Amino acid sequence: MAPFTKPMPIFNDLKALATGLFVTWKHIFRRPVTVEYPDAKRTPYPRYRARIVLTRDPDGGERCVACYLCSAACPVDCISMEAAEGEGGRRYARWFRINFSRCIFCGLCAEACPTLAIQMTPDYEICERDVMELVYEKEDLLIDGCGKDPEYNFYRHAGIGVVNPRGGNPDEEPPVDVRGLMP
Amino acid sequence: MPKLIIDHIPVEVPAGTSVLEAAKSVGIWIPHFCYHPALGSVGACRLCAVKMVDGPVKGIQMSCMLPAQDGMVVSTTDPEALKMRSLVIEWLMTNHPHDCPVCDEGGECLLQDYTVAGGHGIRRYEGKKRTHENQDLGPYIEHEMNRCIQCYRCVRFYQDFAGGSDFGVMGSARRVYYGRFQEGKLESPFSGNLVDICPTGVFTDKTARFRARYWDYEMAPSVCPHCSLGCNTVPAARYRELLKTIARENPAVNGPFICDRGRFSNAAVNDPARPRMPLVDGKEASWDEALDALMLRITELEEVYGPGSLAVVGSPRLPLEGNILLARLAELLGAGYLCYFADREEGERVAAAVSLLAEGRAASMADVRKADCVVILEADLRDEGPMMLLAVRQAWRSGAPVFLVGKHAPLEQARAVSVEAIELNIIEEVPLAIFERAVVICGTRNSTPAAIALLARAEAKIAPLLPGPNAFGAGLLAREHGAVTLAEAAASGKVKGILAVEADIPEELLARVPFVVALDWLPTETVRRAQVVLPTAAWVEADGTYVSFEGRAQRFRKVMAPGLPIRGLPARYHASPDKSAPFHPPRVHRSVPPGGDLRPAWRVVAELVERFGGERVEELFEGRWEQLRDLDPEGGGVRLLG
Ligand code: SF4
Ligand code: SF4
Ligand code: SF4
Ligand code: SF4
Ligand code: FES
Repeated sequence: MAPFTKPMPIFNDLKALATGLFVTWKHIFRRPVTVEYPDAKRTPYPRYRARIVLTRDPDGGERCVACYLCSAACPVDCISMEAAEGEGGRRYARWFRINFSRCIFCGLCAEACPTLAIQMTPDYEICERDVMELVYEKEDLLIDGCGKDPEYNFYRHAGIGVVNPRGGNPDEEPPVDVRGLMP
Repeated sequence: MPKLIIDHIPVEVPAGTSVLEAAKSVGIWIPHFCYHPALGSVGACRLCAVKMVDGPVKGIQMSCMLPAQDGMVVSTTDPEALKMRSLVIEWLMTNHPHDCPVCDEGGECLLQDYTVAGGHGIRRYEGKKRTHENQDLGPYIEHEMNRCIQCYRCVRFYQDFAGGSDFGVMGSARRVYYGRFQEGKLESPFSGNLVDICPTGVFTDKTARFRARYWDYEMAPSVCPHCSLGCNTVPAARYRELLKTIARENPAVNGPFICDRGRFSNAAVNDPARPRMPLVDGKEASWDEALDALMLRITELEEVYGPGSLAVVGSPRLPLEGNILLARLAELLGAGYLCYFADREEGERVAAAVSLLAEGRAASMADVRKADCVVILEADLRDEGPMMLLAVRQAWRSGAPVFLVGKHAPLEQARAVSVEAIELNIIEEVPLAIFERAVVICGTRNSTPAAIALLARAEAKIAPLLPGPNAFGAGLLAREHGAVTLAEAAASGKVKGILAVEADIPEELLARVPFVVALDWLPTETVRRAQVVLPTAAWVEADGTYVSFEGRAQRFRKVMAPGLPIRGLPARYHASPDKSAPFHPPRVHRSVPPGGDLRPAWRVVAELVERFGGERVEELFEGRWEQLRDLDPEGGGVRLLG
């Protein structure tokens, strides 16, 4: 058995009690942390995860290429879309729908997105009385800005010649001349 | 029979088997790109590296190029082999574009899978990427050469396996290019297989471009309905639209490939003109109303024209279930005639072909591939059974002579697969007796029934090409029930009403009868002329069975729920019917999708059987059909012979 090292544990107990009570009293005289929503509103941090938007690239084009990755990543299956081919071979979403009555704002879609198109915003006030109003279509989601990462344009890296001609991106060689005779 | 040890598992394989195949036979998967079971090995990709720990060769080896030998000890998980494989992936990726999100192969891409498996995530190579220009390869196939990893599968399939000559490999070294000399439509009738066979996204299905990802498809094992060969397929649907058809391997039938007709004929299922609602005299009706009207009119018909004035007509494209039940319905109705074929000659030719095929006489496509002599008798395989042509080429590649016999066996079919064929006038000129595994492929479109029956004396296996995916089943049933063809029935002058179940009735016959009922999923002339139309489900919208040309019964499964495709859905199904239709799916709830209240033909027939006083249909397959009760759609099918 361990030697009896604390001869008077009662003092320690009292000290603990007093510390606890002190914390309690300290908070009684503090300003409350709760706010009187909706009269008072907090400003969430920029990385707060609420209403989702679809952003545009710095050249103004739709960033989303309708790759279906966000809808695959979404644990509650609330994203659906259909891809189509636009001018110059650009892939885009013909329609894109997020059902916010199901969304749990986990942010996995934004994490999965290879083009940084889908982003979470701090706008948390999206309640509606009619549940259909919570089903957002593409026109409700698409914004006129880049959101986070304002420089990124997927098509400048993808290497299939949509924004720049084939072989025209900085990390590409000009297209091969198959009929060339040089070694 | 060499014995070797792979990952501590002893394996014995036939001589000539590669280490890769030996490993596969015991369930060990060695990653590979260029090896393909139908195309063999070329050692182009270097991904199949394994470590030979002991035995006749040692060190890192390409398992696809190394024949299994006695005493080999192979490790597929040795760190050296793993390192080699991950480096191969990394160097294949040095030129690969960063475009998985816009690539249709994404999600079903071998390169994607092995890149993830190899752990390659961050680019270390700092050089620039090689790029290529693409070609327009016609309406079916999209070309994106930047994605190529130089595995040569496409050329080996296109030129060696399928005998195409308008597509190949060009250039040298780092510039090798897979395409046509000039842009243009790929000429081979098997070009669609490039989509399946390319391990990356160089060739993708243009008809379903960008429409969905692999994980979103509704898919099920199915059978191609576009000719009598019964190739196995996997149709893929999304948003109530049939988008793609992918080949499904069946070694006895199509092997791993299908033809372009089977792959790209999906539009009929999505056709907005399809019958979607029961119609009575051209007006939409509920199922109950339509069935009531139908009963009333059939009773009236018999009152007016006397009993036996109705002909119940099945067809070679109606799945077996419906065709079997029709006999029960005809009996209950006291119908004058039960028919499975409209055209007299067609019915007789199929009957002749069906009775020809006894045990051991029917040739499967696998038999054709292994044949030592092939006779194509009065047939143009490009039209009557394209995959048979590919099978003929495989026989020819292993040395079998190919004979084209008769006036209706054009030489162009052989040219389409680069086969040298000998043209003859009559089959007696072919020295069949000197061959051991000869096969006669007999067209039934232009041969007379007598000519077909003569084949009973030929010393060869027979492969008759029939006029529909279930023509054999219809032929068997016609014989079982002593059915006549509709043409014969009509000739008697007694037929005043036709109940056509997925049957194509010639116009002159339609014109002769006052009362027509059509059960169909296609908007045919018969449907347009019918007083009562009952819309049925297409083959991808219900389970069913087809009996192929060789008497092989194959089950197919329901792939998708029926309904008007979401793309192009008319405005009246949307929340604001008076505005133009938006792209997105409707914002209104419905329990049944628009145009989705279709029933499989056999169910409609079963309902009629019950309404006309028959017993409830509990079991379709009785008597000789009993063996089809629990047919496994992935089990290769069951042979029923004539
Ligand atoms: S935040 Fe989560 S739940 Fe909401 S759409 Fe994205 S992935 Fe789905
Ligand atoms: S992951 Fe991004 S690019 Fe892909 S569909 Fe979703 S939002 Fe669009
Ligand atoms: S195009 Fe596809 S199949 Fe052909 S070599 Fe390139 S990766 Fe292989
Ligand atoms: S050969 Fe006939 S059954 Fe086979 S895929 Fe082509 S059309 Fe379909
Ligand atoms: S599979 Fe062996 S080298 Fe490609």
